[in-house]
Amino acid sequence: MSIAAPAFDPVPVRPVRASRFDSSWLLWIAIIAVLLFLVVSPFVYLVITSFQAERTGDFTLSNYATAYGRARYVDALFNSLKLGAASAALAGLFAVPLAWAVARTNMPGRGLTRMLVLATFITPPYTGAVAWILLAGPNAGWLNRFYMMATGAEAGPFNIYSFTGLAVVIALYSFPYIFIFTTAALELVSSEMEDAANILGAGPWRTMRKVTLPLALPAILGGLIICFLEAIALFGSPAMIAIPARFNVVTTQLFQFFGNPVRVEVAAAYAMPLLGVTILLVLVQRLIVRRKGFVALTGKGGERRPILLGRWRWVMFGYAMFVAALAVFLPYIFLVQSAFAKAWGRGFLLDNITFANFRFILFEHATAAQSVINSFVYAGISATVAVFLTLGVAYIVARRLIPFGGVLGFLCVAPFVIPGVVLAIGFYAAYAPPPLALYGTALIMILAFTTRFLPVGYVNASAAINSLNPEMEEAVRVLGGSRMTALRRVVAPLLKRNLLGAWLLIFIPATRELSAAIFLYGPNTKVASVMIFDMSEEGNFERLAALALVLQVLTLPLLYLGQRALGRDFMLRRNAT
Amino acid sequence: MRLGSLALALALAFSPLAARADLNALTEAAKKEGELTWYVAHYTSEGAEDLGRGFTEMYGIKVNVVRTTAQVAYQRLLQDIKNNQTICDVFSSTDLGHYARLKAEGRFDKYVPENTPKISEAFRNFDPDGYFHTTAAGLVVLTYNTAKVKAEDAPKKWEDLLDIKWKGKVSTGHPGFSGYVGTWVLSMKKLYGWQYFDKLEKNKPQIGRSINDTVTALNAGERQVAAGADGSTLFSAARGNPLAVSYPSDGSVLIISPSAIMKGTKHPNAAKLFMEYLYTIEASKINAKHFGIPLRPEVPSPPGAKPISEIKIIRPTVAEVDKGIPEVIEQWRDTFGN
Repeated sequence: MSIAAPAFDPVPVRPVRASRFDSSWLLWIAIIAVLLFLVVSPFVYLVITSFQAERTGDFTLSNYATAYGRARYVDALFNSLKLGAASAALAGLFAVPLAWAVARTNMPGRGLTRMLVLATFITPPYTGAVAWILLAGPNAGWLNRFYMMATGAEAGPFNIYSFTGLAVVIALYSFPYIFIFTTAALELVSSEMEDAANILGAGPWRTMRKVTLPLALPAILGGLIICFLEAIALFGSPAMIAIPARFNVVTTQLFQFFGNPVRVEVAAAYAMPLLGVTILLVLVQRLIVRRKGFVALTGKGGERRPILLGRWRWVMFGYAMFVAALAVFLPYIFLVQSAFAKAWGRGFLLDNITFANFRFILFEHATAAQSVINSFVYAGISATVAVFLTLGVAYIVARRLIPFGGVLGFLCVAPFVIPGVVLAIGFYAAYAPPPLALYGTALIMILAFTTRFLPVGYVNASAAINSLNPEMEEAVRVLGGSRMTALRRVVAPLLKRNLLGAWLLIFIPATRELSAAIFLYGPNTKVASVMIFDMSEEGNFERLAALALVLQVLTLPLLYLGQRALGRDFMLRRNAT
Repeated sequence: MRLGSLALALALAFSPLAARADLNALTEAAKKEGELTWYVAHYTSEGAEDLGRGFTEMYGIKVNVVRTTAQVAYQRLLQDIKNNQTICDVFSSTDLGHYARLKAEGRFDKYVPENTPKISEAFRNFDPDGYFHTTAAGLVVLTYNTAKVKAEDAPKKWEDLLDIKWKGKVSTGHPGFSGYVGTWVLSMKKLYGWQYFDKLEKNKPQIGRSINDTVTALNAGERQVAAGADGSTLFSAARGNPLAVSYPSDGSVLIISPSAIMKGTKHPNAAKLFMEYLYTIEASKINAKHFGIPLRPEVPSPPGAKPISEIKIIRPTVAEVDKGIPEVIEQWRDTFGN
């Protein structure tokens, strides 16, 4: 399909003033076609495939019968729901106190806490899961060993290979969502309301419970829902932890349907509840967040003073550092130990230190180094395509260039309700087989990544476009420039920083995407996340840790770049939009 | 002439002249193709990478080593086939059933390596029709962590793993991933019935994916005894880790792992040359270095491994594996939960 190429090449367009026909129309049509290709068609294919018989393609309900015909498969569905609820609740416990302390109090180390939440945020969940296997393996995990050393007990209390273990690990790496939402909301609560409570005799705690938190409640609920959705859509952490823990969730079960024999049709049917739940909850989330409770009432008028916590501020600080220890300090200490160890279980001995793991990853392994390059190349192309595509759409929508432009905007944010695993199955069903035969190609990975991150691009692009006064473009038009000239010479330069920000916000998560990649990669298009997952198969945690650290270290300069261009913790702030 | 090809020339010096001419022509044609893709479940990742590199050093032909567990490799291959893609050139699984099925579907190119007469007789002519050939062999045995378990306390036969004293201390791989584990599960079922696994479940084994996962679990002290592979365990022990193997009195499970050339391969000559390479002394040496059983009789068995003639061996037939492994995977999932 010819439209697959990024449609936004700035082809020099001659201004044709005489006719009303503006050649930028071609561009709009191309964008529409691309969106149909990226968003609508995989989705339609997914639904159709779920009703197709395997070889003949005839209409059938048997895929649904197979998908829900065994207790084990149905159990996996309920496990996912339970896991989502447990993870979200735990994430709330981690995030809400931190968010309140950072946004509203005089707790020391607020900047540090924000930074540590950012560090959590850029840690891929599967890297966190591996670190926690090292920390809380039932016998050899470091926490258990320290416990046994300290108490002389026979066994330690922690077992990562359990439902609770998995829920904690997922919560630890998804709580930043709630943190982001909640701080954003709390920063809008004016102190006047709290003062009113104080004057009427409420202490700081009561004020928080009765006034501040209820005001932020919609945001907290919104964050909880995002965490829930994140938990049920994750593939990596469940695959690493739930298999030894001996239970299945939807995503690991879906992966089994891709096993022997390959049953894409059954997988499609089995993906439907995940899709349904996600769509439903995203609608609920939007409803809740849109109502915004009463926060918006004060707008930005009110004055905001930090609440003085007195001695309690150190308690809060202790809690923040406790959460940070669980999510950042401990995991990274032991990832680094493992990456430089001959055998991680032997601990911090000098004769256990080696560079061999890094050497193996970077120079000896046939595909590990290539996989990192693949990750960065695919993520780079996807981010570029997504940024320009969504910029185009946001522009169309904001300037009302075509009737029903809003539909395009909707298409751009629609992938948000499609879990990565489900999206991948849709792409697989639509584009892997002939005629397009994109199976195993880099293109199918890039297309899937682009689609997955369209919503991030769109939200940023439309915020940016809306901040532009159309008069500037009109000036171009009045002087005889085409709309394309206006876009190229005025809009794009003005939005440079925003575009870079949006690009990084897509690029960074795309370099670690696993849920979609695991279904779409081919032997020559392996990305780093898949490589890490493969290595976990053999339990090669030393090398795996080395590769995961390489990936993290490569991200740091990008983060620095983003912060230079857009201000400190841009990832956190901008994801709140 | 590079050192590697010199060595090959030496290795071939005693072969009939005609065959040598054939191999020379094959080598030239293979070099033009420049690369091949190898889906491999034999060996550890290191072993597979080492073998691939050995081939590259010898011929300058790049090997894309795709090392996964057997079932994942097969899953990948089936998806390739379903989408009419020939990415894999040489397919090396540890689940014999894969070969029975793929052969029946006509997915392989027939090729009998010229070097076949040079490997140990036991490994020759595995498939009478010449579609797939033994390229690796290994054992599933009892393994244990020597720092935690004394040799006299170590399990001596498979049923010992069911002893309550190993509760929470057993490690295995997963038959849904590993061909070795699948064959082991099938053999245990044959010996003791499925009750064996109902009982094993009560000991709460830690289930990894690859059979090599048991090495990690034992090394880390996460588990103390395991049903593991002799090769990867001894390899790790030789590097100073506290591991040992115990050959079970009721039989070590012998796994013969074949390789085959995929029909429609884009690199037919490189694939053929690679099959020849797997039968060279060099390949056998690399294999022995990683504690695999060398196919060439000239290459001594890895240190610490008992010669296969001194071990009681059990081994399911190809037909049993073909039918049995998919069954035991389902049974396993029902018993162990996933």
